[in-house]
Amino acid sequence: MSQGTLFGSLTAPFKACSDVTGLELGADLSEGVPAVRLRKRKGRVEVVAADFLDLPCVLPMLPGESETQVWRLPAPFRAPCAALAIRSPHASLCHSAGGHGEGTADRAVTYRSVSRQTAPEMPPLVASLPDFQAAWAARLLPEGRRPTACSLQIAAAAAMGGFAASSALAQAGGYAVALFVFAESTSLAAFQEGKLVFYREHAVGADHLRAAISREVGIELELADSALEDTLFDPVPIIEPVLRPLYRQVEISADYLWRRCKCQVEHFFVNGLTVGDEHWAKLFERVMNRTLTFCSPFDGIGRAGQAVRLPEAVEKRAPLLMTALGAARTVLEDA
Amino acid sequence: MNASLHLNLLQDDERFSSSPIRLRVMVPLLAVLGVVGLGVWWLLLIARIDNIMHEKTNLETHCAELKPTHDQVLALRAREKETRAAVSQLGFYRTARIRFGDALARLPQHVPASIQFTELRVPTPPLQPPPDPTLKVKPLGPTNLAETVTLRIMGRASSSTSSEAVRSLLEALRRPAFTNLIRKAEIPKGTFRQDTARGPAARECVLFEISCDCGERRFE
Repeated sequence: MSQGTLFGSLTAPFKACSDVTGLELGADLSEGVPAVRLRKRKGRVEVVAADFLDLPCVLPMLPGESETQVWRLPAPFRAPCAALAIRSPHASLCHSAGGHGEGTADRAVTYRSVSRQTAPEMPPLVASLPDFQAAWAARLLPEGRRPTACSLQIAAAAAMGGFAASSALAQAGGYAVALFVFAESTSLAAFQEGKLVFYREHAVGADHLRAAISREVGIELELADSALEDTLFDPVPIIEPVLRPLYRQVEISADYLWRRCKCQVEHFFVNGLTVGDEHWAKLFERVMNRTLTFCSPFDGIGRAGQAVRLPEAVEKRAPLLMTALGAARTVLEDA
Repeated sequence: MNASLHLNLLQDDERFSSSPIRLRVMVPLLAVLGVVGLGVWWLLLIARIDNIMHEKTNLETHCAELKPTHDQVLALRAREKETRAAVSQLGFYRTARIRFGDALARLPQHVPASIQFTELRVPTPPLQPPPDPTLKVKPLGPTNLAETVTLRIMGRASSSTSSEAVRSLLEALRRPAFTNLIRKAEIPKGTFRQDTARGPAARECVLFEISCDCGERRFE
């Protein structure tokens, strides 16, 4: 080992983590900031803590307006490292034939980008984020106090990373199409042999369903979730016009996978749904004549510490922890 | 089976250690402190060496100043030692002295009237071998611890019973009155003879000699 390498290894602030807290920034949830602490022990991943934390999280939207915020996490979440997943309207995640940094040169705001080849013969997946937002996120967890940031990911990539390492995809044999439902959008990903071969983002999210129900039923937006859970009326005709284009994209993705590897996709998963899953499934069966499987982020993951008995409110809203858990899981799998 | 989807947007300079002890701060700091410590130690060492050298110079000067006095003291000590040895030797002589006075004072009472002493002598002991020339310090006195002392009495007896008179004297010298001084008294062979030097008139006159062993003088 050369002297420089030795000095570098001594002074490197970050090395492979086996204990990571995942945090989702910009989720703008009323419950708080989604946080999940994962630990890898003897090759097995386990949840140590999970909750929605009451932390100030106002994502800056313009350069210079970022207010310096410093987070102090509760004791159960003080892992050595933190994986941050950011959900921002300025962030982008897409396949790009041009590779790293493509399409960011002519933008007014400086972006930082990173790309990765997810599967052979596929254009790399490029994640981009405004530099000011990335710098703001990096300063949230100061040096010398647990945790400090070791990773900053785009929310959709984090969610996909978590699913890619999940037992659900493994049981499906690595061939699947998965939906990741966020408030404003839904990410669609196709996996071949566990590798991401196709990714698209659609501007249809959980909030669009709520808005449609609120508009059609004439109730307030906050009551839309309870309407979706209500059995007194069938909301499928209301949500069908919203979801049908999305399901059409799922069908196209399945066709793409068939053409690419001559394999019929049998498994379709949806992640991030907290309410109305049976309506999603009913409509999916009607449109695609397939079964839609719902995934919980904690499926197939052991529990330890505080996570052995999570509060009922957290268990019920667990799908909202999908991104935070995915960010931490991605770091653990990449270590 | 699956390729990692870890698209990390965090830059290297934004990665911090969560440890309160920051290696990238501590290592250079310790290095600097080490160098400063070595420098201080080196300075202290130089200062100490300088002090020692200064002290050494002072001591050398002081020694040079004290040298004549020291030599004087050494010479005085040598003289003192010499004198002490002389005094000690004198003491040996004093204790080794054999007192002849009382014995000699009693001697006339035992001398028959026909006997005339011609010589009463304590012979000088035989000369000692010359001192070893290689010795630096020459002995102040005799180096032997004991010295044989004899008393020689020579005389003449002028009577018809001169031999009895001489024997009577010899017996007297062996009596307890003289045993303090004389251990043994005898007439050496050939010393009892006629006095022929004074002619035929002195035919009855005999010369004699008595040798008395007075023991040893012990120089202790």
